[in-house]
Amino acid sequence: MSDRYLEVVEPVDNVGTALRDFETGETVTVAVGNEEREIEVHDDVGFGHKIAIEDITDGETITKYGKSIGNATADIPVGTWVHVHNVESNYGRGDLAAESEVEAINE
Amino acid sequence: MSEFLGFERDDGSVGIRNHTVILSTAPYANDTVERAAAIVDDAIPITHPLGRCQTKPDVFQTYRTLLGYATHPNTYGAVVVAHAGEIVDGDELAADVAETGRPSASINIHEETGVMNALTATVNAAQQMVQDASEQRRVPADMSKLTFGINCATSDTTSGLCQHKATAGAVWRLIDEYGGRGVFAETPEFFGGEEELADRAVDDEVRREILDRVEQWDERLTATGYDVRGAQPTPDNMDGGLTTIEEKSLGALVKSGDGPIQDIVDYGAKIPDAPGMYIMDSPGHGAESVTGIGAGGAHFMVISTGQGHTLSNAVMPTIKITGNPNSAERVPEETDVDVSEALVGGESIEWATDQLWNEVQDVVNGKLTLSEVLGESQFAIHRIGPST
Repeated sequence: MSDRYLEVVEPVDNVGTALRDFETGETVTVAVGNEEREIEVHDDVGFGHKIAIEDITDGETITKYGKSIGNATADIPVGTWVHVHNVESNYGRGDLAAESEVEAINE
Repeated sequence: MSEFLGFERDDGSVGIRNHTVILSTAPYANDTVERAAAIVDDAIPITHPLGRCQTKPDVFQTYRTLLGYATHPNTYGAVVVAHAGEIVDGDELAADVAETGRPSASINIHEETGVMNALTATVNAAQQMVQDASEQRRVPADMSKLTFGINCATSDTTSGLCQHKATAGAVWRLIDEYGGRGVFAETPEFFGGEEELADRAVDDEVRREILDRVEQWDERLTATGYDVRGAQPTPDNMDGGLTTIEEKSLGALVKSGDGPIQDIVDYGAKIPDAPGMYIMDSPGHGAESVTGIGAGGAHFMVISTGQGHTLSNAVMPTIKITGNPNSAERVPEETDVDVSEALVGGESIEWATDQLWNEVQDVVNGKLTLSEVLGESQFAIHRIGPST
């Protein structure tokens, strides 16, 4: 039976949300739509954080709610913690703007 | 229940509270306002750093926000305190308040020849209003009179899975079953979900306007030359597991449900007097979006929070709901409604919606929210451009 504490919103999502603390080495059965998938957790992942439910390659779209929540900045193997260290946003990216209207202030 | 007990106003609105507010038109009147409100029991001080040396778009925004509070359905009367001649004019504001049939007074520190006289005049005016307001009784009013504000606060990944669904259920219950209004804001928190949101617009003009406003916010943020991460999502959002503004947005939009959007209005503008769901264009900064929604005339607000938040408003009661069991346990004084059983226990989202709706019914009829009892509130008008 699938673990209800790893929630996948839409079947096309490649991440699930941890609704309890998960530990490295745990094997968990996750419900993805009508299917069940068995994955091994590779990190300690805290309540509320995300876990890859399939292998994600560098640059690939991270999908949750059936939509893009950003792109992978590294290869993310299934069962790995997915967060700010391996995902970037596509909005509000003044750091990537070709010509900033405001001269960046030295931090 | 299709009626609630509220305070009738001459302008046709009905309040769920009967407040006397004391407002400053510029920072140089803030002390006088705070001191007067400390003397007069039940008077609410509204102070801010704006109202002077602002460019016109900000002047209009500051003015309509202050007027929104002075003529809010929950406001019985307003005392306006100005420092001197200002671009946000105290006499004009008090006159606009009087036009709605509410008691109003205009005090000018220069004309009163100093702060001591101005303080006395402010206290005298507010004292009279508070006493007169206490004589007014609640009367039955139709639920269709109500405007239901909704806002996120310190969202985390539980927000979009649980408490936002209950919030959507409750706000659409007021709209669909009682003919009321709903309003949400925080335009940068549409990033990533803007197409689907815009498709809910009642016509193509509103659809276009939603997309334009989202694009303007992305341009405004990009023009800073920095990555917005840290500001959106915030560090506490990220602690809760939210990774990008898109993820935060897609969760945030869950609280608005999936029904039609009537219009998107300017920050602090009055919500139109017709049933349905509205958007107010505002930043995602909670103090500013909640202040704007209050100015728009929302009677009360449900603040749907992940990690818990002090976010609240003195004129518009805030009901805080969470589905995160850890937050409900950690900050019980910021949890009016705990629906975590629908996330990690055996309860359903329908149950969670009923829990929230019951609390809404109690609060509109006079039950105090936790933030009202604790006297917590913030007031922050969003600003557009520079001071001059």
